[in-house]
Amino acid sequence: MKILLKLLQMRELSIILLMILFFLFVGSINSEFTSADSIILLLSGSIILLVLAVGQSFVLLTSNIDVSVGSIMGISAAVGGTLLVDGSSLMFVIISVIGVGALCGLINGIGVAQLKIPAIIMTLGMLGILRGLMLIYTEGMWIEDIPSYYKMYAVTDFLGLPYPIWVGIVICLGAFLFLNKTKFGRYFYAVGDNLDGAKLVGLPVKTVGILAFVFSGMSASVAALIFIMNIGFVPNQTGSGIELQVIAAAVLGGVSLTGGVGTVLGAALGAIFFTVINNSLVYMKIPAYWNSAIAGLLLLVIVISDTKFQSYFTKRNQAKLSNQHIESQGLEDSSP
Amino acid sequence: MTNLMRSLLRWELFLIVAIVLELLIFSMITPGFFNIQNLLFSMNDFAYIGLAAIPMTFVIITGGIDVSVGSIMGLASISVGVLWMNGVNIWLALLIALVVCIIAGLINGLIVAFTDVQPLVVTLGTMFLFAGIALVISGGGSATGYEGISGFPDPFVEVANGMILDIPNVIWILFGVLIVFGTLLHFTKYGRSVYLVGINSKAAKYSGLSTKWIVMSTYMLAGLGGGISGVILTSYFSSARADLGSTAILPVITAVVLGGTSILGGKGTVLGTLLASVFVGIMNYSLQLSGMPSEQTTIVVGIILILAVLLRQSKWTYIKKRVSREKNQVPKISE
Repeated sequence: MKILLKLLQMRELSIILLMILFFLFVGSINSEFTSADSIILLLSGSIILLVLAVGQSFVLLTSNIDVSVGSIMGISAAVGGTLLVDGSSLMFVIISVIGVGALCGLINGIGVAQLKIPAIIMTLGMLGILRGLMLIYTEGMWIEDIPSYYKMYAVTDFLGLPYPIWVGIVICLGAFLFLNKTKFGRYFYAVGDNLDGAKLVGLPVKTVGILAFVFSGMSASVAALIFIMNIGFVPNQTGSGIELQVIAAAVLGGVSLTGGVGTVLGAALGAIFFTVINNSLVYMKIPAYWNSAIAGLLLLVIVISDTKFQSYFTKRNQAKLSNQHIESQGLEDSSP
Repeated sequence: MTNLMRSLLRWELFLIVAIVLELLIFSMITPGFFNIQNLLFSMNDFAYIGLAAIPMTFVIITGGIDVSVGSIMGLASISVGVLWMNGVNIWLALLIALVVCIIAGLINGLIVAFTDVQPLVVTLGTMFLFAGIALVISGGGSATGYEGISGFPDPFVEVANGMILDIPNVIWILFGVLIVFGTLLHFTKYGRSVYLVGINSKAAKYSGLSTKWIVMSTYMLAGLGGGISGVILTSYFSSARADLGSTAILPVITAVVLGGTSILGGKGTVLGTLLASVFVGIMNYSLQLSGMPSEQTTIVVGIILILAVLLRQSKWTYIKKRVSREKNQVPKISE
């Protein structure tokens, strides 16, 4: 277990190291990139992906997948937008928007954990259903005229950082502490690592599975709230296509799709790195259409080298174990 | 085996009944709906989903998934466009584009077969990579970035828009693809080994099959399917764009799964995939004809997808229970 933990920590460390190297590399070409202002700009730009990736990692940890987050983000943004335009109080808007996300996640969770529908099918279906519902709800129109007090939060500083960054930090730390420092949080790892085992020792497997989707849905609605803040209006396509980026970001940060491996901090770092890659090309004077080619290539290189690395380590550990085994056997043989 | 065949046939029969019911219901709701010519031409709008979904069935049967197919469509489209713009004969350009797509599939297959990285992660990476390469080619080739290349010669445009014997070419192509891939999957040794890899990869390996080659080849087929689909779309719109298939991946997977292929591998037919794409296509067309905006039809398709899987799931657990009961009754010979 200690070795595993060490490996996990190394994974986050390696992402941070890679990111620093990347920063230095781009900074050496264009020093504007490493200025405090542009770093804060990058961070605020990554918050939507970051929040989504943190939510998604709950689902990935339980060895499921949630491709409906883009649509949940869309419908939450539509609800939030209309409520804001109607002049509802901020508290009411936040609670009802997060409620929408939680409800969508609950439906996903019941489908997957209770009705045993494969997660990718259930959330694929929900992706279509929610996108359609959003369009019925908005009647295909964009929601504009968001009150300016709300939009101001995106640029208002609190202790030197804009509000969205604080939201990201709070969610990250909250999720990290919940998963690693509470007993219930550890269940998510247990369920993802070995479902049958978790069932046998009496863990509330279904509740954990459903809750993972609820958290993912809630993270999508938080992302929607930040989206409205940043953009100032709600287009029909809000959130569409972001689901694959979210999964890519989480994977980049070391969260495994087979469940049980990874941390939310890794996922968050993955999201930031993904955004950094996408925004750095401008500073290197490379045309923006190189973005996805480079992002894809880096994702592949990092993930492949990581698996090679991990399998090397497990092999080495196994070799060590079997050596010990042979040694102890040898002792037993020679003792009589 | 006969049991398996029977249960598969049952699902395809179910799909056929669903399509007939769909046609009946919509011709009752919408007057003037049942016009064969219109229905045949509506196929043009969704045939590309079937074209990509049929080879994708192979990948999903082996227990994998390929989410990069949408990007491969764009790659095919922009390759044809840029090659043609630079003076290559259009048919040669088409062939080269298909080869490019098979190579793209080969890259997917190589990584999936020779590393432990999961297919979803691999193809997620290549999805960004291929989409990016397509954009780079389009940006470098014509310096127009997202804008398309148009003005193709008539014979090429006719490929997707023409008719033979009063039936749109696209339907002939779809049938051709169905027959070729159907034969490959259901009547060859290769096809049977694809199933075996999906059911039990270790058993396949120990029985002397080169599982790595089989897995790799299914991704190459999926790449080819994406290529054909992208070329047909290019011809249909008479315009080559890098982001042509960017929204196609979810409908393609929907078609495969609705067609009865298990996302866990080992089960599925090419005919089921085709029938499911026809079912979804007619559903989209009819809902639009009866006044529903195209985006909202996703609600119906989503609900049908979930319900269909639930239906199959419950049947499957029932069968599994029965099988295990029978196993228990058998005296312990096998042990």
